[in-house]
Order: sequence, then C-alpha cells, then structure tokens
Amino acid sequence: MDPVTIDTTKIKTVKKKPVTALEKLEDTGLISTVLAAREREGLILFSTVDQIFNWARLSSLWPVTSGLACCAIEMMAVAMAHHDIARFGMEIFRASPRQADLMFVAGTVTKRMAPRVKQLYEMMPEPKWVIAVGSCASTGGPYHESYAVLKGVDLIIPVDVYIPGCPPRPEAWLYGVIQLREKIKNEGYGAKWGLNK
Amino acid sequence: MNPAEELKQKLPAAVVSTGMQLNKPMAVIKKEELLNAAKKVKEMGFDHLSVITGTDYNDHFEVVYNFFSYEKKQNLVLKVITDHDNPEVDSLTSLWKGADWLERETYDLVGIKFTGHPNLIRILLPDGWVGHPLRKDYDMNTEQFVTMGEGGEDVVSTDGGNLLRRK
Amino acid sequence: METDELLINMGPVHPSTHGVLRFKLRMDGEIIKECTPVLGYLHRGTEKLGEMKTYLQFIPYTDRLDYVSAFPNNYVFVKAVEELAGIEVPLRAEYIRVITMELNRIVNHLVSIGSLLMDLGAATMIMWGFRERENALQLFEKLCGARMTFNYIKPGGVREDIPEGFIPQLNEFLKDMEKRIEDYEQLINSNEIFLMRMKNIGVISAQEAVNYGMTGPTLRGSGVDYDLRRYEPYSIYPDLDFKVCSRPEGDSYARYIVRIDEMKESLHILRQVVDTMPEGKIVSNPKYGIAPMTGTPSAVSTYFPRIFTPPAGEVYSRIEAPKGELGFYVVSDGTTKPYRVKIRSPSFCNLTAIPKMVVGLKIPDLIAAFGTIDVVLGDVDR
Repeated sequence: MDPVTIDTTKIKTVKKKPVTALEKLEDTGLISTVLAAREREGLILFSTVDQIFNWARLSSLWPVTSGLACCAIEMMAVAMAHHDIARFGMEIFRASPRQADLMFVAGTVTKRMAPRVKQLYEMMPEPKWVIAVGSCASTGGPYHESYAVLKGVDLIIPVDVYIPGCPPRPEAWLYGVIQLREKIKNEGYGAKWGLNK
Repeated sequence: MNPAEELKQKLPAAVVSTGMQLNKPMAVIKKEELLNAAKKVKEMGFDHLSVITGTDYNDHFEVVYNFFSYEKKQNLVLKVITDHDNPEVDSLTSLWKGADWLERETYDLVGIKFTGHPNLIRILLPDGWVGHPLRKDYDMNTEQFVTMGEGGEDVVSTDGGNLLRRK
Repeated sequence: METDELLINMGPVHPSTHGVLRFKLRMDGEIIKECTPVLGYLHRGTEKLGEMKTYLQFIPYTDRLDYVSAFPNNYVFVKAVEELAGIEVPLRAEYIRVITMELNRIVNHLVSIGSLLMDLGAATMIMWGFRERENALQLFEKLCGARMTFNYIKPGGVREDIPEGFIPQLNEFLKDMEKRIEDYEQLINSNEIFLMRMKNIGVISAQEAVNYGMTGPTLRGSGVDYDLRRYEPYSIYPDLDFKVCSRPEGDSYARYIVRIDEMKESLHILRQVVDTMPEGKIVSNPKYGIAPMTGTPSAVSTYFPRIFTPPAGEVYSRIEAPKGELGFYVVSDGTTKPYRVKIRSPSFCNLTAIPKMVVGLKIPDLIAAFGTIDVVLGDVDR
C-alpha cells in the first residue's frame, strides 16, 4: 500500500443517513478527517487520533463536586431534571478529584480556601479543565473589597472558561459548558495543522 | 416589670445604668460583675442567649449580650464597656454552651479576650491571621499567610496571588 | 487486643458537608469519640463590608448569606433599618414580603430535605425537590428577575409591584404543592431504611437545645414550641392563622417531620395572604409617609433616596428565618453607612450543638444528624 497524503481541498462530504457506528461518528461532525480517510478506502490516519480523543473527552466530562458558595446551589439545579446536564454526559459528579477531569469553581474562593482549591486542582489527573463560575470566582465579584477573599481564582489555577453572573442562570451555565466543548474540540496537533475543520 | 430595673434591684452593685436598646430593656454592667449578673439573669429565666457582639468605638469596646426568655417572652440586653488597650471580659460558657462559638467569633473578628473560655482560638479566620478585621484600625492590605497543616507547617501566602509553598 | 484511636478528616471538600465545612473526627473503631467542626472556609468578611457600604448597597450582600433562602435575609436587615429610622411600611408591601418569605421557606425546606435524602443515598427526593423548587423560582423570577439573589425588599417597601399573572401562577403552585407534599410523605415517611437511619439519631433534649442556642426547626424538633412569628410577631403575622409545628422526640426524624409540617403551614399562610391581599402603595418615603405612586418599576429610586441617614442608635432585630432565628444588630452613628453590622445567623448557632449530638454514633449517623440541622455555609461563615 502506498503511503497516503491528504489533499484536503478534494474532500467532499456526502450527506446520507448514518447506519454503521463509523458513519454515526462521522455524522457528529466532530471527526472530519476520518471521513477523509474513508474516501481513501477506509484507511485511518494516525495523525488525527487526537480528534477521537477530543471527541471522547468532551462527550463525558466528569466534574468534581467542589461547590464553594451560592453558585453550588445553581450547580445542583443544573444537575437536576429541569436543566439536566446529563445531556452533555456530565451527570456524574465525582466526589474524588482523582476520577474527575473538570472542575467548576462554583463560588467565592476565600484566602483560607485557596490553597485547598489549588491542591484539589493538582490532584486531578491530566487532561483537566477549569470553569470559573460566577463573578466571585472570576474576579472576586461583590467581595472584591473584602479582606478575606481572593480576587479571582485565575490567580492560583489556570481557567478555561469564565461564566459571568451572580450566580449565573443554569442556561448560562450550559452555555459555558458548550464553550468548553468547543475548546476541547480544537485541542491537539490536528487542530494546529488545520485538519479539524 | 422591666427586667433591667429588676436586675438593678437585685444587684445594685453590678448595674451601672439602665436604659433601652431601641425597644429592648438594657442594663450596662460593670466589667468585673458580668459573671454574677449573668448568673442572676439566668435565674430570672432568660434561658436563650441570642447573640454576643463586640463593637470597636475607637477609645473603648462594647460587648453586647442579647438574652431572651422563652417562658416570659421578654428581652434583656446586657452591655459591658471595656478599655481599648486590653479588652477582656469574663466568659459565659459555663452558663450557656452556645456562648462558646459566639465568644470565639468575637475574639477572632474584634479581638476581645474572654477569660475562662476553655478554647479561645480563632474560628472563622485561619490560625496565622494578623490582626482583628472588625477593629476600626485594621489595615486591609496586610499580607496574610494561611497554614495548610495542623502544626503550622506548609505555609501558604495568598495575597497578590502568590501561592508559595514552604516546607 | 490493643486498639488505637483513629483521626479522620472530613472535608472541606466533601459531598455531604453541604459546602466547605470540615470535621475533625476522633474515632474509636467505628464510633465517633470527638467531633470538632472547623469553620471559616467561606468567611467573606460580610460584616466588614457592611461598614464600608451604604444602607442600600448592603442589601445585596444579605442575599448571599443564606443563599438558599435569601428573602428573609433581605427582610431582616431592612426591618432593622426601618426600626432604626422609624419608617412605616404600606400594608400591601408587607403582604408581598410575607408571600416571598413563605415561598422561600418552602424552597429552603425542599432543598434541605432533598439534600438530606441524597446524603442518605436516596436520589429521588432531590430530583423531586428541585422540580418543585424550579416552579417556585419561576415565581421569584417573575417578581424580581432573579432566581436566588433577589435584592427585592427595600426600606419602606418592596422594589416592584406584583406583576400580572403572578397570583394565578402562585395559586397553581399552591395547588400543585399540596399534592406533592403528600407524595413526599408517601415516599419517605414509612421507608424502613429511612426510619432506621433517622430515629434516635442525633438526639438532643429540649433543655440542652435551649442552652446551645439552637433555634428554628431544630429547636422545635426537640419539643420547644417556639416560633418568633407567633411569639414576637412582626409584619402581618399577627393577623394570620397558622400553627407552630413541633415534635417532642428531639431526634433527626422529628426535625425532618417538623420541616414537612412547616411546608404545609406555609402553604396555608400563602393561601390566606393571597385571599386577603389589599390594594395600595408598595413603598413609602421616610420623610413624607406613604408615597403617592402606582407601581412603576423605578419606585424606590424615585421615592426612596439612595443615600439616607437614620438617626444614631443601635438595634437588634430578628425574625424566624427558615433555618431559625436570624438577627441583625445594626449600629448607626448618623452617617450614611452603618457603624457596625453583626449578623446572628441561625446556621452558626445551630451547628454549635453538633459535637454534642454525634458522640457515640457512627460516621453515617453524623451525616444524618448534620443533614437535619440544615446549615448553609454562607450563613455559618458569613
């Protein structure tokens, strides 16, 4: 078999109803290069395996239960039946950071809690993402002037998505999650080489 | 009868003056006589210690106790005035167990010492905190260090976002 | 056989501590010998902020103390300021305030019972509880645009009048809720596992409960028939007919039953309030009495000055919040900002009794007893 080089300009997508598992995977629109490989007689390229990883990662983000303050109540509301975060494969809130790959910093990070939040983040295995929920976690919010509050959780850990609000509505929360999924989709070498589009 | 006046009749030596805290009868108590007065107050049927407050008035501190009687449905306020340099009053933990945390909180945030308290340590702020934030002269920009371990090891500074970790 | 004591650290990140509370437990095998709660992981310095903000600016901070039931927090601070400044409140505003507070009591107990049962391992109740909570939140949203942090009750009245369609929706909610509470009782009350885990767990006698300064449903679960709404009445509660729910046992089950009964009483109160709701003004001006306005959205900014100075003095004002006696001690020195704000929070004082309640029990019983105390860490740490 000859080694394959892809000319992405020649790829055409054919819309048809997905039947097999592979076709269904293509239909999600997340892994376009698999389609490219199929047109060349089913050969899958290893350079795009990170896209499959990305797809797997973003489809089952498991958050750690790290509710700190008011936003934690909205976190419970998001997880319950009405707003139903299970639609994103995220309903399993893990009590242990070892089993989680997403951290909602939901609430005010006080100076006393900050080292613990950082420790919690360090205990999570790679790859991991952080969403700062609410104005307190983003900037200190209404407690910016207080002597006991950290002015934004991004001073101690890297943050991927900020959700404004005090507390954010569950809809805003879900929008933040969607933004994070977009971000994860575009991670890795495939995205850098322009193969994800 | 007004319970503050009643207290004054029973303990004339302890009560400096009586008055009203808006709509609640109030008695100002001598600092040394607080425990005696509190015992008397409890005998009078005030079984619920609602709140203990400390306030900084720049030249003196006021410690305010709000009592309530479930039986008589009456309020009573006791007030103690201490000097500013060494604020110290007697602890009421032997009479009301609920006073334990309220006194610790007052010690933590206002810096009033309660003599006779079994475990007078900080409650809301971490152990290494400098100063008492509810005093009027508290400097909001003081750098603070937070300890992670029980014995004071593993010190972390959280001001300015520096998270130092020292062994 | 030689045995040794075991130290267990629980929290501050633990799913059953309802936030960032930490317990240090000294164990003898499975039995708790000593329990030391460690607080302060959510201490935000609200009392200091109270000294830095004007009276109106401070109201939003009261929302964030007990964030499960924010209306009573709003109300008690405003009540303290009103007592201090001698502001009269129109009758219709008081009715609206009572509607919000009683609805919030239902919401609070739903969250409390839901998370209690989730901690015990039964996930159904929290799903059901949050389903009804969502309906109540829609009512709040209709009223003031916020779901949890309202900033709705202002000195002299409320921020906005009841919108169109609110009362019919409230009536629907009340009708629905009645059936739902029956459902909860059928689901939970006779569940064998639930009874085994709740009965005779975390017992505290009436005398001890009073001595520890416990209030609210936790006190009434110990047989002290005391409710500030009845015995130190405020707002329009003297005109309303309701009974004070209490149980003599003093265990976790009694506290749970008191909460269920209180929800029923709140429904009863709400029905009366809706039936007898008067027409009229919703806000008053401290200088000119009841303001001549007709419910425009900017009512307070027009008729209530943003900066006002109550006369110098001090007041301790308290109400029966869903969790217990919530009090604000406000000192005014005659300027635009409070000189001192002290918050007497029910969660903090109720939590004092936990070390006493759980000695000799096992860790799962600590979870059960702690769940029925119903603390919110924003309220404990402030």
